[in-house]
Amino acid sequence: MFPEILEFGRKGFADELLRGAAITLLIAVSSFIIGLVLGHIGAIAKLYGGPVSRGIAAIYTTVIRAVPELVLILLLFFAGTRGISALGEAVGYGPIDINGVLAAILVLAFVQGAYSTEVIRGAIQAIPVGQLEAARAFGMSPLQVFRRIVLPAMLPNAIPGLANLWMVVIKDTALVSVTGATFELFTATKIAAGFTKRYFLFYFISACIYLAMTLVSNFFIQKLERRLRRGQQELG
Amino acid sequence: MKKFRSLLLAAATLAAVNTIAKADLVFGTDAAPYPPFTTQNAAGEWEGWEYELMVAICAEMNEKCTMVPIAWDGIIPALLEKKFDGIFGSMAMNDERKKQIMFSDMYYDSMTVMMGPKGADKNFTPETFKGKTIGVQASTSNANYAEKYYVPAGAALKAYKGQDEANADMAAGRVDYLVADGISQMSFLATADGGCCEIYGPVPHDAAVLGNGVGVGLRMEDTALRDKLNAAFKSFAAKGGFETLNAKYKLEGLMAVPPKG
Repeated sequence: MFPEILEFGRKGFADELLRGAAITLLIAVSSFIIGLVLGHIGAIAKLYGGPVSRGIAAIYTTVIRAVPELVLILLLFFAGTRGISALGEAVGYGPIDINGVLAAILVLAFVQGAYSTEVIRGAIQAIPVGQLEAARAFGMSPLQVFRRIVLPAMLPNAIPGLANLWMVVIKDTALVSVTGATFELFTATKIAAGFTKRYFLFYFISACIYLAMTLVSNFFIQKLERRLRRGQQELG
Repeated sequence: MKKFRSLLLAAATLAAVNTIAKADLVFGTDAAPYPPFTTQNAAGEWEGWEYELMVAICAEMNEKCTMVPIAWDGIIPALLEKKFDGIFGSMAMNDERKKQIMFSDMYYDSMTVMMGPKGADKNFTPETFKGKTIGVQASTSNANYAEKYYVPAGAALKAYKGQDEANADMAAGRVDYLVADGISQMSFLATADGGCCEIYGPVPHDAAVLGNGVGVGLRMEDTALRDKLNAAFKSFAAKGGFETLNAKYKLEGLMAVPPKG
């Protein structure tokens, strides 16, 4: 049915590709979540922070969005490890080993954080000021205002932008293959293609796997958005 | 709370990724396939002459070793960053590299050759390269050689991330010549794509650029590991290990290896 090279097990590359896809998802999910946390911190710093935190957030989003991810990955993986290891030793953790997966997650999360800062900031600013004033008038603490008003009102606005970022981070994981040390989907594809010399076949298969990841996540994002927008009037 | 839980989960997965058992010694090699020396196969394992040599040498040293892939152009920075203990990847011991890293004794030596399309003019004195394109693997001694001798003569250099990619472009006719290792190119000639081309001959030797053979690349301070490796190479050679390995890969007479006695 299938040519031997597409079988599972010792003779085929199906299991290698699947393992690569799993690592791709691990990198994408982890960096997206960490990026979301950084994005919230960044957005709050930009909107409510004092001059210092505003400045730091501005530098962060400007610099990170300006430097190509590829450069950041190479910088962290081949040059940054010593700095992080020294930092680890300084706080008594011993040397920290930055493997390919961890370097990928750190870099992509850092990049995602910068972009989601802007998405979340925009979504928060789209909330009518009156709603926040009303919440404050009821005596809610800033944290309560954030949890009860800002978060639920901002999320529907943020979802389309964040969904974009999720698509981008899935594809950005392929950049990590430049280090050759991380067995994500694109590295697995290159190994399979290089070993069998069937370049078109394996690049096509991996394109299909990336497409499948996108289609499946689109389905869930749509469901999530519909739930978050419940009670809202539909346009038209 | 949910978000916090997923964060914890991510942290736990990360920790799991990081605690994958490490062998006693880790050697880095080119992530791109480099037959017949190092290739990752469909079983997710390493194979090739050089991988088997590493296993045998580690058995001599009584060490547990693993091989890890790394992009060739980043292999020296990665060694210096302590991502692994040594480079076991057909690295020629040339002067430029000796400024940054230290090498074990030579474990094989082969020739750098000029490869071109079948049936073309086999003359490859520098004058023939005006307006021609030469494919090389980036960050190799072969690339440095072409840079030194053929670029001044008017050749354009095309650098590839892996030798396999350079070979594929040679077969597709996108480069006019390849400057590459003779043994890896013999193995390319044996494939279906290899029908395009032939080896025109070895390039004139320049030890400063091409180095005198291949050794294990090590950090300058790891002299104990170097001495251990050298002793292991010696005892492996004395047993006739290189001859057995070369017979298995049909490389007899094609490469120089450490002498038996």
